[in-house]
Amino acid sequence: MSSSSPKISFEGASKQFDVRGNSTLALQPISFDVKKEEFVALVGPSGCGKSTVLNLISGLFQPTEGKVFYDGELIRNLNRRVGYMTQKDTVLPWRKTAENVRIALELKCRNVGRKEAAERTAQMIDLVGLKGFEKHYPGELSGGMRKRVALARTLIYEPETLLMDEPFGALDAQLRLIMLDQLQKLTSQRRMTVVFVTHDLAEAITLADRVIVLSARPGRIRSITEITLPRPRDVFKVRFSEAFATLHETLWDELKDEVVKGTDV
Amino acid sequence: MAHSSLGIILFRIIVLTLAIAAWQFAPFGRGMELWVSRPFLILARLWEWVDDGSLWPHLFATGSEMIIGYLLGCASAIWLGLVLGMLPKLNRVLAPFLAAFYAMPKIALAPLFVIFFGIGLESKVALVWITVFFLVFNNTLDGVRDVDRDLIQVLRIMGARRSEIVRKILLPSAAPWIFTGMRIAVRYAFTSALLAELMAANRGLGFLIEYHSGSFDTTGAYAAILVIVILSVGITEILSRIENSAGRGR
Repeated sequence: MSSSSPKISFEGASKQFDVRGNSTLALQPISFDVKKEEFVALVGPSGCGKSTVLNLISGLFQPTEGKVFYDGELIRNLNRRVGYMTQKDTVLPWRKTAENVRIALELKCRNVGRKEAAERTAQMIDLVGLKGFEKHYPGELSGGMRKRVALARTLIYEPETLLMDEPFGALDAQLRLIMLDQLQKLTSQRRMTVVFVTHDLAEAITLADRVIVLSARPGRIRSITEITLPRPRDVFKVRFSEAFATLHETLWDELKDEVVKGTDV
Repeated sequence: MAHSSLGIILFRIIVLTLAIAAWQFAPFGRGMELWVSRPFLILARLWEWVDDGSLWPHLFATGSEMIIGYLLGCASAIWLGLVLGMLPKLNRVLAPFLAAFYAMPKIALAPLFVIFFGIGLESKVALVWITVFFLVFNNTLDGVRDVDRDLIQVLRIMGARRSEIVRKILLPSAAPWIFTGMRIAVRYAFTSALLAELMAANRGLGFLIEYHSGSFDTTGAYAAILVIVILSVGITEILSRIENSAGRGR
């Protein structure tokens, strides 16, 4: 696979849900590409189909119309080359922090020995700042800590593509910045492709190579903006730069209209 | 019982002593004594059985029927519960039949089991098995249905095989339901084993009751019942200990 061909490709893919005879269009036919090792952020008002885009890439949903490709292949089944951190809390309540984080390494398909798994788990727990909480059950952790457990669990097996659905929504502002910093370092180090859903424009601009603004439901692509801020970015300072402010203003103008439309519904 | 004060315990001892004394010394007529026996006669009979060892084969018979039937019942119920939980279509097809079987009092099958398997161990094991099976099976199925589908998706995307999903998600998630079913089933296993023995047997505690009642030897029947009471209290005690220690696990 040449590096110029897209990692993920939407060709007029739409999604309609039929619930008890009522059908809702969640996503209008959309087309866009995600390049290899690119960091793409999806922003848009609530219910605009951001999560649906991730579900299509992960293969959890099949598009109603159109096609979604991964590495040039049509996604027909669950896409096991992605790591998916869903918005919902899916930490396993009967497993302690360390056991939750390492679960992917226990699977046969990863073929990781016990010792290596323990080392990588310890590293990951350190990375997301959960040292000292290895033996806590999820019920004994705060919402933000559980999010970090889920993040560590997704990152530990180093999937080539990372799908993230508002991963840091439950974190306080300081911790969120620290996590953004870690995520940026990790994904560039491991050369991951990332599709990142957020409702926070600043977060999107800080991290992404491109920001895609989706319209209010049913979602369609309102704009795609190239984020040209130089890398590596200092997540703690980049938001105070002039270029950042300009980008934020432009994107907010796009988003604002849609958010207003979205609240009419 | 752990929180009973000394006064209450003392009261209980007094009540028990009075009841036993009344039973022992009440001026029953000869005929009446045949029906209700006397506590010391019953204890003497029990001691005789222990002393000459004649109790053990019966205890062993009932115990093994119960344990074998219970283990088979639990294993097959958990297995089928997991399978049908994973295959909702097959479950929908089989559900009404299983429900009909579940609703039926299993004791109705006991005479047939005697025809199929004889009056030995096997017919008792069969009744215990089928009784335990439905209790644990229904609970397992409820537990599997209650599993958060999103947890399964997370693991499938990670590349988990079916067997890994069963071990890492289905079983631990359904475990509290399965344990509840297993706990309830212990008492039913005991009752079923006794009922099957009462119906047709040549050993076991149920047989002891049936045999001595049949020869108007109520003292023998009461002695067998006393053994059953002791066993029941023992089982209840063990179960509540397990429950307490499991409760602390989470």
